[in-house]
Order: sequence, then structure tokens, then C-alpha cells
Amino acid sequence: MKRRQVLKGALSLSALSLSYPLLRPAKGFAAEKTRVIVIGGGLSGLNSALLLTDFGLDVIVLEGSQRVGGRARTADGVETRPEYGASQIGRSYARAIDLCSRMGLNLIPQDRFIMPMSFNVGGTWVRSDEWAHSPVNKLVGDERELPPSLVGMGLMNRLNPLINLDDWLSPEFFSYDVSMLELLKKSGASPEALRLASYYLDLRTTSSLGMMQERTRTLFDANFGRSESGGEATAFGLGGTNERGEEIPAIRNIEGGVSRLPEAIAAALGDRVRLGKVAAAIDMSGPDAEIRCLDGSRYRADFVVAAVPFSTLRNISVSPAFTGRQAEAVLTLGYRGTTRAYGLVEAPYWEEDGFEPSFWTDGTVQTMWVMEKRPGEDRHRFILTFTGMTSARIDQLPDDQALALIESEIARARPAAKGNFRFLALYGWRKNPLILGCRHMFAPGQIARFAREMIVPHHRLHFAGEHTRRMDFGMESALESGERAAFEILQRA
Amino acid sequence: MNNTTPGASLLCAAFLCGITALPSTIAADDAAPANDPAAAEAPDPRLVARGKRLYVFCQACHATEEVEGSKIGPNLAGILNRQAAILEDTLYSEALKQQDFVWDEEKLDVWLQRPETLVPGTSMGFVGLPQKANRAAIIAYLKTI
Repeated sequence: MKRRQVLKGALSLSALSLSYPLLRPAKGFAAEKTRVIVIGGGLSGLNSALLLTDFGLDVIVLEGSQRVGGRARTADGVETRPEYGASQIGRSYARAIDLCSRMGLNLIPQDRFIMPMSFNVGGTWVRSDEWAHSPVNKLVGDERELPPSLVGMGLMNRLNPLINLDDWLSPEFFSYDVSMLELLKKSGASPEALRLASYYLDLRTTSSLGMMQERTRTLFDANFGRSESGGEATAFGLGGTNERGEEIPAIRNIEGGVSRLPEAIAAALGDRVRLGKVAAAIDMSGPDAEIRCLDGSRYRADFVVAAVPFSTLRNISVSPAFTGRQAEAVLTLGYRGTTRAYGLVEAPYWEEDGFEPSFWTDGTVQTMWVMEKRPGEDRHRFILTFTGMTSARIDQLPDDQALALIESEIARARPAAKGNFRFLALYGWRKNPLILGCRHMFAPGQIARFAREMIVPHHRLHFAGEHTRRMDFGMESALESGERAAFEILQRA
Repeated sequence: MNNTTPGASLLCAAFLCGITALPSTIAADDAAPANDPAAAEAPDPRLVARGKRLYVFCQACHATEEVEGSKIGPNLAGILNRQAAILEDTLYSEALKQQDFVWDEEKLDVWLQRPETLVPGTSMGFVGLPQKANRAAIIAYLKTI
């Protein structure tokens, strides 16, 4: 590089740094002052903001993206309007039910009945009713009754010692804060059970205790308001289904889509919600807290709620810095991706090959659910779900390449399906840069290390988000955390 | 398998809400009205006001006025000195229905600390309030509704 070019570069740089603040509108200089800043306009942040506003505190919500709702997201532009993230509201989801009532939103029974599922294991097809006695089934003993798609969770559920919703935070159970692989091995799971489970669960990097917290909460919901226990739930609650004719359905959805809830809360909050505000720094070294955003805007507040996942909170400069186990939590808490493809079945391919409509494979394609038609639908919908490593592998590809690959893999694994299904959308939460995953997942040992310490307020900063749950699961855990953060601030303010 | 030791539960409860060691301008006031003999009849308005705020933790499940509907827990209007699990058309756990006690301050204080301690098998999934001052404030508020 020639000297002149270097000089020119240096000059323009210094000119830029000088003129940059001068060119900013005056608004960019003065920090907007409010009582509470909530960083993140997902359900947890919005619930915090709404509750604090109810009690007369001035609140501003800074949302980095151009929409509210975070992982509650209805794909309104897609023909079948699928839900990309949270959608299920259980009977005991008090906060979700109450908020919907307050916002005038109707809850409707989840109409998602998954058609029976065949399995392709090691390249051979087996119908679900033949699985237990099939030679393809290499599981051992009473494992053999478990479908390969649920063998990991099924075995885990049998080992769950938790009774109360807060047991997972008690040192008494920290011996379960080990990897699912370690626990399943110790319990005598067969090598085939471990192999099948590893297709959809991150056995090595997931804390068993974390999974058990969710299982316990799911059972609590299944038993809620019933005199007898019942209601099996499946991995991640994804397979939760209703029994027809129940008085209060086990799972309900928000009429019109889950996005209507964060939108309604944001509408109630009005101009307190600011979109496109990516937080860059939280400075609490002065007499109050100052939040600086990437666009140069600044906000000052007495209290701050970090209602963003730790996967992105770790991108925000915080002063004074986090210390000890809390710092460890913010920097290392595990996150998981889930990737789903949505579409329509154009012709009932299962009539051609005699296997069931839905299927699970131990290959590239993990799970394909085919849904019963809803009233008025002329075709079946399907959802392909990728979790664990199958999700990570698919997310390595651009969306169009991923869909082309999935399509050819389905056609290869199940020739009758070829040309008889059509994709409408693909969504992988890991690819969302402001979230970087569909959910947190404690790694082995992390619950004992910092699950309790991670939510203790740091100076003026409080924590919300599903990862800061204490008793809940799913959408309700986000609302629970927002409520707790509001409670903490109301106690101080 | 409900053998959690009280010590473990308390230690645990202290971390359930990140509120154990926060500066609170109001906490210091709590002691005075508690010793005031008149407090039983006329609760300290500041304590009641604080309890009303902290009721933010209860409001999703429990209405405080007769007319409100669609909350999943019992209505708490008149809860003080009410028999447990006595309201009609209200969802109670089998465990609570089997109980025979009255919701006095003492019972409410244990309940709000950790419901499972008082009634194992309860369907109230509440995180619990480790600080006595917070429980006292909420109970003071409950007396007024």
C-alpha cells in the first residue's frame, strides 16, 4: 500500500470519527430516561413490561428485530399458517390463559392429530404395529415396546425421580445432573437404544436433570384438574395430543395464531415498544443504568430486564461485568436448534406402499408427521422435525439447498412419497441471529453449577426468558420469568 | 418419594426468586407495624400497598373480585379465615380437598413460602416467597379483599 493511500485512509477515518457524532440528530445525544428498560420483546420481556406498566412504572421495551414475539411466531405468510415456535397452551398455563383472556384472544383446542407412524431403521421399513416383534428391532427386553422415535425419552422418563416442580433445583437431585448418555448407560440401556436415541437427542451434551424438569412439569399439566393421572407426553411436548371429547382439552392454541398474543401485548404497551433496537451495552457504572444500542440511541433507567437468551446476552457489553458462576452461566449455557419444514401432501402415498402416513428414520430425514385433515381441508399437512444433531446438520445448508436435499432423501427413503408432497416453508431457530437456538439446554453439571445463581439480579439488571424458569415449561416458562422479573423490580422500586 | 428435607427446600427456595439480598426501601418498615397492637385491626396501609404490588405474583391465577372469571385458581376475595377448598365451581387438587383447615395467617405464611410443604400434591405450582416480609405484605393485602 502506498503512503498516500494509508494517509488518506487514516484521514478519512479520523474525519469520520469526528463527524459521526456531529452528524447524528440531537436525539442521538440525549439518553431517553425511563424507570425500566426491558431488552427483548419476546413473551417474557413483554409480560414484564405489561406488569410493570400496570403498577405505574414507565417502561421501554427494546426489541432488536422488526417484530415482537421472539420464539412465539406464526408464519402468517405461509399458506397453512404454521407455528414456527411455541404454540401449545396446557391446562395449567395460568399466565398464558389469563393474558389471552385479558387481551380478548380465544383459546381453541389444538387440532393437530398425528397420523400413525412407520419406522425406517437401518434402511428397512416397519409398521408401528409390527415394531415390537420385528427382527429390525434390536432393542432389548422391555425397551422393545418403545417406538424408535421415542426410545430415548421413554427410557429417560422411567428414571425421573422428581415429584415437585422445584425439585430440580434441590442438591438432593444433582446426581441426575449428568449427561443423558451417562444416565441411560448406568441404567442398563442397550447399545441400540443409545444409537436410536442419539438421532434426535444430544445425549452427550444434555443434562438429564434438565430434561426431567420438563417432564415433571409436563406431567403436572397432564394431571392438572384431573382426579386420575394420565396423558403421556412425548419429546419436547411436540407430540402432545388431545383426547377427543375432553371438557378442557389438554392442549389449546390461540385462535389466529400464537403471534396474536405478543402483538396484543405490544399494542397495549403502545409506543413503549421500540423495534429495531439491538442492545450493544448495559452500563451500570454510573448513578443509573445506561443502555446503548447499535444505532447510537441511548436509554437510561433505574432498572433493566435482560429478556434475551444468554446466547445473545453474551454479545452485550455489561459493566460492571458478570462475575463467578453467573458469568459462567451467561457465557456457557447450552442452546439447541430445532429445524422444521412444513408442507402439504398432494396424494396419499401411504395407500401405495402400505406403510403408515407419518414416519421416522435413522437417516438424514428424522421425523415426518402427517396430520389428520382439519375441517375444510382438502389435503393433509405435514411437519418435518429435526432436533439434536439432525437439526445442526440441516442448518449447515442454505434453505433452498436444505429443502432440495430433504426432498430427495424422502424420495429415496420412501419412493411412494416421491412427487406427492410439497414444501411451503423451512425454519431453523439456530439461524435467527438474535436468538441463536430454539431453546436453552443445560449441559451436564450446569444445573448444579449455576441454575440457581444465574438469575440473581446483577446490580440493576434482572433476568427473564425461558432459560430463567423456575417451575414452568414452554411458553408458560417465558411468562413465568417475566412475572418474576417484574416482581423483583416492584419489590425494589 | 416426597422426602425433600426442609433444609434443602429452604436453601432451594432462597434461589427460586432472585430476591434474597436486594436493597429494599420498604423492608425496614415491616418490623414496626407488626409490633403495633392496633395492626391486627387496621393493617398498616403501606404494608397493604406493598402487598398489593407483590400480588403481581398471584394475579395470573387468582382473581380478587367476585366478577372476574377465567383464572385457573380459586378467587381470593375473603380468603382469610375461609375453610380450605370450599368454593364451588373451583378447581382444587385432590390433596387440598382432603384437608380440613382454615386459611389463617399462620397457614398462609407456610403456604406462601412453599405450598408443597403444607399440602404435598397440591396443584398450585407456585415458586414460593422465601422472605417473611414479602409474605406478611401479601397476607396484609389479602385481609383487605
